[in-house]
Amino acid sequence: MNVAKRKLALLLPVMTLLAALVSACGGSNNNAGSTAEPSASPGAQSSTSAPVEGSRSAGGLQVPIVADKLELSLWSPSGGNFRGTNFNEKLSFQQMEENTNIHINFQHSTEASAEAFSLLMSSGKLPDIIYNDLWGTDSGKYGAQGALLPLEDLIDQYAPNFKKILDSHPDIRGQITSPEGHIYYLPNLVLDSQDLTQMFPQVRSDWVEKLGLTMPQTTEDWYNMLKAFREQDPNGNGKKDEIPLVTVNLENIMMLFAPAFGVEYGFFVDNGEVKYGPNDPRFKDVVAYLNRLYKEQLLDPNYLVDTTFQTLTEKVTTDVAGAWFGWSGSYMGNFTTLMEGKHDTFKIAAAIPPKGPNGDQRHVSFRWQAAAHGLAVSSKTAHPEEVMKWLDYQYSEEGILLNNFGVEGKSYDLVNGEPVYKDEVTHPTNGLTNTQELLNHTIGGGSWATVADTRYAEQIRKANGQTENPLEIYKDYIDFDAKLPPVQFTAEENEIVVPLMADIQTYVAETINAQIMGRQSFDDYDKVMKQLEQMGIGEVLKQYQAAYERFKGK
Amino acid sequence: MAVPLNAAKANSRKLRTKRSSVSLKPIMSNRYLYLMLLPTVLYFLIFEYKPMYGAIIAFKDFNPFAGVAGSPWVGFKNFEKFFESYYFFRLLKNTFLMSFYSLLFIFPASLAFALLLNELRLKKLKSFLQTVSYLPHFISLIVICGMIIDFTKPGGIINSLLLGIGIISEPIQFLILPEWFRTIYVGSGMWQSLGWNSIIYLAALSGINPSLYEAAVVDGAGRWKQLTHITLPGILPTVLILLILNVGTLLNVGWDKIILLYNPGTYVTADVISTFVYRRGVMEADYSFSAAVGLFNSAINFALLVLANRISRKTTENSLW
Repeated sequence: MNVAKRKLALLLPVMTLLAALVSACGGSNNNAGSTAEPSASPGAQSSTSAPVEGSRSAGGLQVPIVADKLELSLWSPSGGNFRGTNFNEKLSFQQMEENTNIHINFQHSTEASAEAFSLLMSSGKLPDIIYNDLWGTDSGKYGAQGALLPLEDLIDQYAPNFKKILDSHPDIRGQITSPEGHIYYLPNLVLDSQDLTQMFPQVRSDWVEKLGLTMPQTTEDWYNMLKAFREQDPNGNGKKDEIPLVTVNLENIMMLFAPAFGVEYGFFVDNGEVKYGPNDPRFKDVVAYLNRLYKEQLLDPNYLVDTTFQTLTEKVTTDVAGAWFGWSGSYMGNFTTLMEGKHDTFKIAAAIPPKGPNGDQRHVSFRWQAAAHGLAVSSKTAHPEEVMKWLDYQYSEEGILLNNFGVEGKSYDLVNGEPVYKDEVTHPTNGLTNTQELLNHTIGGGSWATVADTRYAEQIRKANGQTENPLEIYKDYIDFDAKLPPVQFTAEENEIVVPLMADIQTYVAETINAQIMGRQSFDDYDKVMKQLEQMGIGEVLKQYQAAYERFKGK
Repeated sequence: MAVPLNAAKANSRKLRTKRSSVSLKPIMSNRYLYLMLLPTVLYFLIFEYKPMYGAIIAFKDFNPFAGVAGSPWVGFKNFEKFFESYYFFRLLKNTFLMSFYSLLFIFPASLAFALLLNELRLKKLKSFLQTVSYLPHFISLIVICGMIIDFTKPGGIINSLLLGIGIISEPIQFLILPEWFRTIYVGSGMWQSLGWNSIIYLAALSGINPSLYEAAVVDGAGRWKQLTHITLPGILPTVLILLILNVGTLLNVGWDKIILLYNPGTYVTADVISTFVYRRGVMEADYSFSAAVGLFNSAINFALLVLANRISRKTTENSLW
């Protein structure tokens, strides 16, 4: 090999190192020339709207939607509890394809990760329909970029079912409209806000009974109960291996305790004013309380490392976890079914929100019928009319039943006109939990752009052995007004909020965790607040206030 | 044997006489060699050079739907945003320290490991050690990090070991304490790459002429003298080239490993430029900003590479170019 060649051979890898560094941003220029975006005005579309032969009406929507089978693509995470690989394995979607004559090519990411979504959106190559669980805040941003199709006109023209819901629940329109006045996504809807599922504290009630305690009412009761869990060996194995309070993240712990001290971990509303929890003097008490729990090993000392639901499940099912904060189905229901027949006394009960030292006793939660998650239509779609009709089908009575209950005769029967799950769904014998088995039949309530049916949640709860509805216990404590609504920012507001919050979030996560773990003193909490001021929290709050008022004005 | 040599000479003579017109003859006569080069060249052009065009979004307010060309220019705004960031100096410091420690410990360790292996007389033991030390290189990073988390747990193997021999009296929460993060990062990096990195030295070692050793033995040199006078000088060029290349990537720390291992408790020492960019650029979809930071990182790496190369050339006459 001559000298020049050798030099070249060595130089190439060097150049590639440089190239590799910047390559992450490439490959996005493929659509620079495609200005011929599909027309949003429906009149310009082809005349496929002529009624298809043999068609019928589903709440005003003609089905099948098309005469010749049409294929649409849809991106969506497949979700942790779904055992299959593709949503077309669900019987409800197979039936839906038969009813609408539209085949959906599902593109799945395995996780509901913000990263996978972000990469999809930056690729510039979009499927017809896109799922996201943050459309409430993201849709305005991506809409303004031109990635999403504004849907107002399409809804008026082609979505009789969804329009009917909008007309009968006027609040919803405001909840899903962007600051520029466009609707960019169709949300998951819970039409009666009392039916909303909530996260709530769950306690090993058999432990409570065994130790002769009562269910905790105040933050002090919580401390005493957790301490008893730690010291009195409720699992009876002779070892001090109990972890009284477990969690997958700090947020859940904060949702449990912060309202008792009058604040929240993130943004919240206090008498019409948007505030940021860590920037509130009362937050010091939350940190002090959690520090006390951590110091005495009542809060899982490994909570920063064990952040997966899997590790939490392991702790619960190996009989070492005493309390946690989670959903009714995926936490309480899963654990109960997993432990069925494996433990003599295993029992979980919902606890009421703890009362704080100043008498605050509330559960801060949302009440908006429209959830932040749902389906948006990409601006690249060649079939806006058919996409809209397919989306509208999800809100027809037929579609709601399919999405929540599956196919009649296969997963449910009609009893006196009411859908009732078959026993093999609520008590599966194939080794799956009922949540998992249900997802083989349906999309499951609460996650799809459809109307969540309360009869679904109720039957699953009862199947999980929870005779009393935890939400009933909670009803009196839910503080809807303190929850910040899913506000949307204009592009200018976004430009201010995003960079400031990037640093602030890093600072807060770091500082609060250090204070809870006792690595940093919380005595001079003023310093934290001063620092937050310096980092521009005031400026951020101003934008939030504006967005909040815009939301209220709607 | 002599015939092709003469033919080649004749060929080159012919070339010299026809200097005025470019001849395809040498290319044609070696066409299969060039054909073999083609995939590599194409690979670099398509996958390494073409994407470099995308770097200009660092100077733009990039919108994927307007495309690179259609996005508006913003000058150095994204760079300023980064330099003004509250955590800029901490990120720079963490990035530098993490890479510097990796270089400082892993680089000589691989060399030492190769030299030790080379001195082993037992063939079977040598190949066993090699196989064992290569293994972690073939395990996926996700699994590696899962193992690290398990090993460093309060009830994990490392704590049990330290408790067993009485160095500590209480288990250490390694992954929660910021002062341990760099140690874990570099230590596990060594475990991952020691064996694999040593391969290239072993290859260089096998290229040393055995007669040199024989001569040295005749002259009465012991193992140590052989090492310092034959082995080390023999592989010095390889060592220096690798060192220069390593310096050129000094600011590239493995962000994926850090993301799998860090948490808010260890941000103080674990947060580096690339993890910051990940949180900011990928999670918040601020593409231009992350491109700007990436470009800044590359520029520093490039400067370091040039510097290291120059120093090496001046002092030892070994260099990349």
